[in-house]
Amino acid sequence: MSEVLFLGPDGSETLLALAEGETVMRVATAHGVAGIIGECGGAAMCATCHVYVEGGVGGLPAVNDAENEMLDCTASPRRGTSRLSCQLRGGREPGRLVVRIPPTQV
Amino acid sequence: MASDATCLDEGVRLADLMDDPYPIYRSLRRSRPVCWVPAAARYFVTRHADITYLERHPDIFSADETPSLMKRVMGHTMLRKDGAAHKRERAACEPTLRPGIIRSHWMPVFAKIVDDLIGSFIARGEAELFEDFAAPCASRALAALLGFANTHPKDLARWSQAMMDATGNYADDPEVWRRSEQATAGIDAALDDLIPHLTTNPDHSLVSGMIHAADPLTREEISANVKVIIGGGLNEPRDAILSGAVGLLQNPAQLEMVEADPALWRSVFEETIRWVAPIGMYPRQTIGAVELGGMMLPAGARLGVVVGSGCRDEAVFDDPDAFDIGREKKPHVAFGGGPHFCLGAWVARLQVGEIALPALFRRLRGLRLVDGDPPVWAGWVFRGPTRVPVRWTY
Repeated sequence: MSEVLFLGPDGSETLLALAEGETVMRVATAHGVAGIIGECGGAAMCATCHVYVEGGVGGLPAVNDAENEMLDCTASPRRGTSRLSCQLRGGREPGRLVVRIPPTQV
Repeated sequence: MASDATCLDEGVRLADLMDDPYPIYRSLRRSRPVCWVPAAARYFVTRHADITYLERHPDIFSADETPSLMKRVMGHTMLRKDGAAHKRERAACEPTLRPGIIRSHWMPVFAKIVDDLIGSFIARGEAELFEDFAAPCASRALAALLGFANTHPKDLARWSQAMMDATGNYADDPEVWRRSEQATAGIDAALDDLIPHLTTNPDHSLVSGMIHAADPLTREEISANVKVIIGGGLNEPRDAILSGAVGLLQNPAQLEMVEADPALWRSVFEETIRWVAPIGMYPRQTIGAVELGGMMLPAGARLGVVVGSGCRDEAVFDDPDAFDIGREKKPHVAFGGGPHFCLGAWVARLQVGEIALPALFRRLRGLRLVDGDPPVWAGWVFRGPTRVPVRWTY
């Protein structure tokens, strides 16, 4: 995964490069993508970087216990495609991740 | 920088901040959002946006303040560490404080504490919520969560206050140091009993989690972090319970809403800590020269991150001084942010927002403030009601 497309709840689209090892949450907050907050800085403790993955899911790691537990605490409903964007990282392979930002994080 | 009259606020007095900091914060946000406050010997950072920026750049804004009274009192706790060293100690505590285990294991413990306390005074028909409810509720819950089974909750409360007084002992009062040394000695003695037992009998407690973590903490690290958790983990839930109770008692229409729809307790909790953030200010120190909020800060600048002000920033929250559980949901900064995001956030949400406050209003029918004896508020580094007399129908 080398880039990520954010689909905002207002219909906006933002395409950003995703460096290897960089998290989707961090790239979003560094570029001021609205709707990704990341209060806890990436410790999977706050559930405010929730996204719905709509494309590129094949290259992602499985949901671990901590993320799974925190996905039960999201402000917008959890779906099968729900992930915490602090757990999604850029990889060496080129490819595009597509994530939809939920209506609310708090 | 402090000599620049445009960013120097000599008008801010600590006594006024203690009494009611919010008018001062409002004025600072408007005209001097990052400014040197001589009375506190810190640059105050008062806007929501600057606080959020600072928390996203821990490589520039360090938690490892030097010199630090907290380090003198407690040792070097994770609250005053950065980077990998901080992360290692925090990671040892996180599994104990994730929402799943709080809900499955600790909620029934907290519920029993709350029920026992209310049962102890319900027949009186009146109480003072600080002494009778919020303070003992917070200390009993913290004693259980830490694993301090053999410690009297009153000792825990006394230790907490003694250490907190010492972390603010800029006047160098020897009596304050003496009480604090007594408190830390008491905690170390309790740990000497506890650690051997928990080493062979692991349980759900925080101290057990620190001992049995994948990367276990040393005796010295456990001691420092237990002290900071006792120092901070007691007054915050206590003050959130009291602020939330006052917010609802002063706004009966909102109380009616939440009584009709218990799902709103979550909003009550978040609005309570936005309205009056229990931790109003915490320190940071710049690693290099940096611009923040239009102000050039030198390397080594001591900052006061005023989250109590960021939570009332009119740029983010409409009518910010009002307690309003129906307001548009926006991220507050009462839990801080970044690597030091409140470790106890889920404990607080469940203990205060799902157990203590709902039980108080459910069991004390017709709960109301007392005419002529209104709640008393105090503090700015830590803020909350210090006295809340109430009556109910029994």
